Amino acid sequence: MSIDKSDIEHLCNLSKLNLDDEEQSVFLSQMQSILDMIEELQEVDTGDIEPMAHPLQMTQRLRDDEVTEFNDREKYQNNTDFVEDGFYKVPKVIE
Amino acid sequence: MMKRHTVKELQSMIADHSASSQEIYKIYNKRIRAMNDSINAFISIESNEYSSDDKQPDSEISGVPYAVKDIFCSEGDQTTCGSKMLSDFVSPYDATVVKNLREKGTVILGKTNMDEFAMGSSNETSFFGNVNNPWDLERTPGGSSGGSAAAVAAGMAPIALGTDTGGSIRQPAALTGITGLKPTYGRCSRFGMIAFASSLDQAGILSISAEDSAIFLEHMAGYDEKDSTSSSETVPKYTDFLNDDLTGKVVGLPKEFFDGSLDSRFQELVTDSICEYEKMGVKFKDISLPNIKYSVPTYYVVAPAECSSNLARYDGVRFGHRSTDGEDLDAFYKRTRKEGFGQEVKRRIITGTYVLSAGYYDAYYLKAQKVRQLINQDFLDAFKQVDFIMGPTTQQSAFKLGEKVDDPVSMYMNDIYTISSNLSGVPAISHPIGFVDKLPFGLQIIAPHFKEHELLNIAHKYQMVTDWHLQTPEICKEMD
Repeated sequence: MSIDKSDIEHLCNLSKLNLDDEEQSVFLSQMQSILDMIEELQEVDTGDIEPMAHPLQMTQRLRDDEVTEFNDREKYQNNTDFVEDGFYKVPKVIE
Repeated sequence: MMKRHTVKELQSMIADHSASSQEIYKIYNKRIRAMNDSINAFISIESNEYSSDDKQPDSEISGVPYAVKDIFCSEGDQTTCGSKMLSDFVSPYDATVVKNLREKGTVILGKTNMDEFAMGSSNETSFFGNVNNPWDLERTPGGSSGGSAAAVAAGMAPIALGTDTGGSIRQPAALTGITGLKPTYGRCSRFGMIAFASSLDQAGILSISAEDSAIFLEHMAGYDEKDSTSSSETVPKYTDFLNDDLTGKVVGLPKEFFDGSLDSRFQELVTDSICEYEKMGVKFKDISLPNIKYSVPTYYVVAPAECSSNLARYDGVRFGHRSTDGEDLDAFYKRTRKEGFGQEVKRRIITGTYVLSAGYYDAYYLKAQKVRQLINQDFLDAFKQVDFIMGPTTQQSAFKLGEKVDDPVSMYMNDIYTISSNLSGVPAISHPIGFVDKLPFGLQIIAPHFKEHELLNIAHKYQMVTDWHLQTPEICKEMD
């Protein structure tokens, strides 16, 4: 599989990440060598093998639907200065 | 007191009142301040953990100080994950493993340097600068838990927490001449441990001896209702299993780990350690793990995929770096992430986005998960015939800083022996087995799921008859 500059731009957009021109060209060649390395997986016969999503064979636990966490809004909002009346501030979205 | 001390030694000093825990804490704090300029093992140093009227809990590790990789949240402390993105982040709560240890009366010396978001094998991707290996300051201590490894090797901390996603505890332990344990996936809670690849990440320990790891693991491990992937398997008292007889235990030597590619001087050290184990009654058997050669490509699909998803949370809104530019929300996100993340992290986010994107999911991600199953099956089959698997931890000793930094694939190959145990979830330990050109080298031992007690015992038995783990770098002697 080979990739080009427009693929990198598309991936940057999907991952909400800007790269400058120099980064883009370095990434392009590095990504190509990473893709060549992972291409090796195609030679493995995986027929009807079950994909492994989790190392331990376990099922998701369920708990009773009770309140276990309490509102600590102020404490958590200490990690940004961009708060007003308990809300987070972002650039204007609606005109 | 300036020599390196094990946790075991500190325990007896506290017990027989030859040093108080406050005195011990102060000595380590002083030592960190004196050495950190040359080693850069710590991103932040604690100093006010103690007031003399603190009532200490009654536990066997009460008063023992330790270092924490800066990937674990610790309440009220700066927690950076080695990234500009989190350089001002203050944890609002404790990670469960930190909370568990705090409740037993241990005290945090500081937060250790690491590759950014634990992505790297040389500590060079840290926003806070690379860590220097105490054995040779021009070399890497390995990564990503390089700060924790260097701190223990240099005697700046008796023991340290690390995380291991593809070798990030074992590889730096090997490169700095200490012991590094990656427990079974799910053995320790991941709550409050900043996520990189959630199906691979596991908290563990870097220590001088396997015995010290056994002492700490018991207090760290266990089921946590805040981590649904943590295991409810009973946590044994690991120290009870130390000194169990090894006679009749069978160790598998996978031909894939002994394919002749290892430098003969390293091979000699591995052979010597195998002889040592033979003297203890251990039997060796050649085995094969046929799919293990696909570990690195499998990992570099699974880990970036999970990383790209986990790191989506860094958007500059609620915490972390925030760009002052960006005319609209989309541009704001993109600039924040461009400014906040380093090169390696960006590369993995983009790789992960690629393997998960429409049209490539089946070919890469699903395929990798199937190969992961085959690799896991290789381990399960092998452990029907053997109790342990052994091989070198790394292909070489500590390399020069800057040597591989521009070549990601060659950097990724550093973890060729360690990655497979993360894919399968089995526990593994690295312990030092000697030196080549004054640089330490490590042996890796892998055990079946939840057999940490056997793993710690076998490494401990080796450390009872050898003293490689007690060798100290020159830089420590200069301190005395």
